[in-house]
Amino acid sequence: MSIIKAENITKIYNHTVVPVHALNGVTLEIDRGEFTAIVGPSGCGKTTLLNILGGLDHPTSGSVELANTDITSLNDGQLIDFRLKNIGFVFQAYNLIPVLTTMENVEFIMLLQKRTKKDREARAMELLSQMGIAEKANQRPSQLSGGQQQRVAVARALASKPQFILADEPTANLDSKSTSSLLDIMADMNREEGATFVFSTHDQRVIEKARRVITLEDGRVVKDERK
Amino acid sequence: MLFIIAWRNIWRNKGRSLVVMGSIVVGIWALIFATGAMNAFMVGYMADIINHDVSNLQVHHPDFKTDRDVQFTIPNGEQKADELRHWEGVKATTTRTLVNGMIASPRKASGVQIRGVDVANETRVTAVDSLITEGSFFQNVRRNPIVLGNQLAEELRVSERSKVVLTFNDANGNITSAAFRVDGIVKSSSVNISKQYAFVKQEDLTRLLGLGGLVHELAILTEPHFDEKIVVDEYQSKYPDDLIETWREISPEMDMMQEMYGSMLYVLMVIIMLALVFGIINTMLMAVLERTRELGMLMAVGMSKVRVYSLVLLETIFLGILGAPIGLGLGYLTIRYFSETGVDLSQYSEGLESFGYSSILYPYIESGTYFQIVIAVLITAFVGAVYPAWKAVRLKPVEALHMI
Ligand SMILES: Nc1ncnc2c1ncn2[C@@H]1O[C@H](COP(=O)(O)OP(=O)(O)O)[C@@H](O)[C@H]1O
Ligand SMILES: [Mg+2]
Repeated sequence: MSIIKAENITKIYNHTVVPVHALNGVTLEIDRGEFTAIVGPSGCGKTTLLNILGGLDHPTSGSVELANTDITSLNDGQLIDFRLKNIGFVFQAYNLIPVLTTMENVEFIMLLQKRTKKDREARAMELLSQMGIAEKANQRPSQLSGGQQQRVAVARALASKPQFILADEPTANLDSKSTSSLLDIMADMNREEGATFVFSTHDQRVIEKARRVITLEDGRVVKDERK
Repeated sequence: MLFIIAWRNIWRNKGRSLVVMGSIVVGIWALIFATGAMNAFMVGYMADIINHDVSNLQVHHPDFKTDRDVQFTIPNGEQKADELRHWEGVKATTTRTLVNGMIASPRKASGVQIRGVDVANETRVTAVDSLITEGSFFQNVRRNPIVLGNQLAEELRVSERSKVVLTFNDANGNITSAAFRVDGIVKSSSVNISKQYAFVKQEDLTRLLGLGGLVHELAILTEPHFDEKIVVDEYQSKYPDDLIETWREISPEMDMMQEMYGSMLYVLMVIIMLALVFGIINTMLMAVLERTRELGMLMAVGMSKVRVYSLVLLETIFLGILGAPIGLGLGYLTIRYFSETGVDLSQYSEGLESFGYSSILYPYIESGTYFQIVIAVLITAFVGAVYPAWKAVRLKPVEALHMI
């Protein structure tokens, strides 16, 4: 059953001197439990696509249905609420709240969802152990390495068991060792928790770990293959 | 956790937080000090006038106010003064015989209000004797003693024991002159006392007027904090033909002064608060813009606008809550210190005293006012945070994150 359904979406940035056609009619469907990479060279529209699939930006035309909800009809406030309840995010950087500890960062989304303290702590601890950073629970993000920070971000995204997780170039700032361990963790979580991941990358080693690869070129899907 | 984030956020940039806290501290302190000083001016001025000149209440013939003719006297003035002394809330009373006239020294002449006073009772009601800086209040000179204000004495170039001549119309309308000898000089911040009045003994004045028992003014000193209105009502119903007035009615300029002070204080407050608002808008806006990406991320992952808004407000409120007690404490200590030692303005007081001010100020503030000032400043800080908070909410997550 598809959890993400985008139909013929286009995105034109109009505020520039020359309008930029970032997406030119993208249609795709992603099922629950998939582990998908959006790939393509820089500037092909990966970020734009993920922003739209995450309800962070509106497409110029086309429709986006997420978890059976047509999000093009939601206003900004409703979108925030929808994201909170359904989508986990991992960004390239600046994922964590610097004044909160690792543990508190992982709890954050659950807290916004008004889950109980006991609940939150149990889940956060479980995830941090699975990610192998339980001993960092009480440290601030600035005390962690880039790879550890991204693992915390993944833990936070997973914590509330969202419908799916979007990660825009989560390994862009990581060295190759951290990159492969982050991908391994994401793959583990995909298997163990059945979490649906959609991540963008232009790193060949990352692409190899994906089970489905959607290739973009000039804002168009040019290849879509399942392994 | 919003509280935790806000609380920890204020320690991220200590310098900036100190600026906001510092301006709240200074704002509160400045307002407290300004209010205290204004009160000191006001109260010093009014107390001098009420205590030494006007008293709480005065009785006159209803026409005396418009036409200061000798014939407009209070019937049975002496008896009424004696009777009132036994009324509840009345501390002392005295009667006066008033005539306008001229005073002349060998050097100069000037118009004066000649006040024939009942020395013993006058000192009980107005304590003018306590203002004596030279000579005595009707103790030394035997024949026709006179007591003058310091400015009048200076103008006439007279001092203790100098001779002056008073000229005025007697009860029959004839011009009378008599020589008096200066027994004492009184100094006061009240222009009336220092410049307009010439005190003589009531018996001397009535003798010269050619008629006894002329009481033009009956002054009443009430017990502290006693409601003057009670005496007014009782007197008015008992003696409806006389006019009894409170100091507010007698000296409407004091009411005006009070109002003027009120509006000056208001203007000062607005200026201080505007400075505070702009200071806070500026620093909190910096705090928001510096964290654009972080705020964008928070909204991207699902933090509602209300929460983001509250976060920025909370940070300011925390700074206010930290700053307020410090400002309050500093303000309180400053007022405490000066309310005991006083602020001596005598160096600059030449000008001030001639306007009717005391040269030593004793700032004070009612405890309720402290509270009001703190609340006002906290509200101001809050208002200053509204715009930065609104800016934070207006951030678009994609754009904020796009800055990566
Ligand atoms: N906010 C924007 N304003 C204008 N043009 C943009 C904006 N964001 C992206 N673009 C343009 O849209 C195209 C796709 O960009 P993007 O989605 O960021 O690609 P990718 O993430 O694959 O590098 C690029 O040409 C980029 O310059
Ligand atoms: Mg990108």
